[in-house]
Amino acid sequence: MATVTNWIDHLSAEEVAGAVYPGVGTEGVLVIVGLVIWIGWHVLTNNTESKELEQLARKRHSANDHKSNITEW
Amino acid sequence: MTDELGALSTIFTEFYYWITVVLMFLIHVGFCMYEVGASRYKHHQHTLMKNTMLIPLVTVTWFFFGWWIYWAFPTGPGLAPSIMNESAALITDDSAFSAKWYVPTSDLMAVNLGDHISGVFWAAFLLFSWTAASIVSGAVIERITTFAFGILAIAIGSVFWTIDAAWGWHFDGWMLKILGYHDAYASGVIHAIAGGFALGILIVLGPRIGKFSSSGEPRNIGPRNPWLVTIGLFLIYTGFWGFYAACNIPIFNLGPEYGMEGVTYFTATNIYVTPTTLSGITMNFLMSLSGGLLAGYWIAKGDPFWTYSSGLAGIICASAGNDLYHPIQSMIIAMIGVMVAYKLHYWVERKFKIDDAVGAVAVHGYAGVAGLIICGFVLNGYPSSGYSVGSMWVGTDYAPINPLGMFIGAIIMFVVLGLIPGWIIAKVLHGMGKLRIPREVEIAGLDYNLLEAARDDEKAVSSSTR
Repeated sequence: MATVTNWIDHLSAEEVAGAVYPGVGTEGVLVIVGLVIWIGWHVLTNNTESKELEQLARKRHSANDHKSNITEW
Repeated sequence: MTDELGALSTIFTEFYYWITVVLMFLIHVGFCMYEVGASRYKHHQHTLMKNTMLIPLVTVTWFFFGWWIYWAFPTGPGLAPSIMNESAALITDDSAFSAKWYVPTSDLMAVNLGDHISGVFWAAFLLFSWTAASIVSGAVIERITTFAFGILAIAIGSVFWTIDAAWGWHFDGWMLKILGYHDAYASGVIHAIAGGFALGILIVLGPRIGKFSSSGEPRNIGPRNPWLVTIGLFLIYTGFWGFYAACNIPIFNLGPEYGMEGVTYFTATNIYVTPTTLSGITMNFLMSLSGGLLAGYWIAKGDPFWTYSSGLAGIICASAGNDLYHPIQSMIIAMIGVMVAYKLHYWVERKFKIDDAVGAVAVHGYAGVAGLIICGFVLNGYPSSGYSVGSMWVGTDYAPINPLGMFIGAIIMFVVLGLIPGWIIAKVLHGMGKLRIPREVEIAGLDYNLLEAARDDEKAVSSSTR
């Protein structure tokens, strides 16, 4: 996985390779994983939000009910 | 890097942009404080999280495609040929500033010993993206779903603003060539577009419950916490210093860049690679802030909320030409922008029943549009680029700055890339039933469950101490 194992060898090469992160050449896979995480986040949080809003809407609280929940700590 | 002077120049530039990113972070801190201060107690925490979560959403999408769009779209495509490859197609070839290098799989989109600039430049632009999305965030508080806002934030932050930046905020942009567009510190490319986008959403989203009486008279739902609003706006001012610096290239040799044989001329430049000075723009920044505050205090009769916002609106209005204006011109333009923004805000509110909770459409949108139009008159005849001077509509050379071109540019920013996309996406989300929270939740407060849980926790803790 390591792209660089010896800095002296790396920097004294005729042409110094710029990319030094682990797994050079696997960028495509990393991007796919990143896209799945991004889209997945929207799906998961949308489900949570929808349930939360639905449940709260069913309770039909009035505009001032929240005041009884104000804490003093 | 093996040459010491070249290395110093590169690492200075790298560090310069890095500092601007840190400073611009304060804009977002300020927006968060401002929004929470403007929202009602029962919505505080959701308001805060909505604005906070745009940070990761816009960042990852900016990495995946936003940055690529900026480098691919300067030609339109199809509107004016690039000066790099003389083609009007998307710029994806092997030329130096091609989008090819900025796909997410590129090895330049990572730690790369051969490139010290791309990452910090990417980040500076990203912070502009956050700002664009955050401007929209304030307008829609207390009734939009976090899901919908996330989608809209990505649309403005990683798609539409970056298209406008490619068109009008890029040395190779077609709007410079065909229209003579000039917008050095983003009156249009950030503020007008974000204001227009917010207005497009607001038309579909509708006002907060209770904002208008049954006869249509608007009611004031003023800031709940003026001190948080104050600190928030001061932080936005502070972050704006970074914004201004980030719009510049700190050191550039324009002689060889413009093809002038034997000429060496090092200077700071704006994003169009035309000369300005950090010193001069600092004067203009402060004078336009002052003009905005003076006019805001007067027109709003000392109302703190509008006075602070007017400081911002003043800077925004003068920003298009603050690379070249005289400081007193900046101040006067700022004052005009504030008057336009303030009057239009209340006129639109009454006439169209638009509930812009923090005045974002006015402060950013109307002041930004006014700034672009004024810039067309004040800088009429200046070159929009140093590379060449041509005439309007041709597209192979750069048109000079002119009132008509700037007016069309303002419409492109506010309406074409702002209002229309915002309205369409909001319509789609509304059609899916995902745009607005249920009426019952809006009345109860988005934080109702959180507050209830906190109360139960408090009871549990106090009972254990008896």
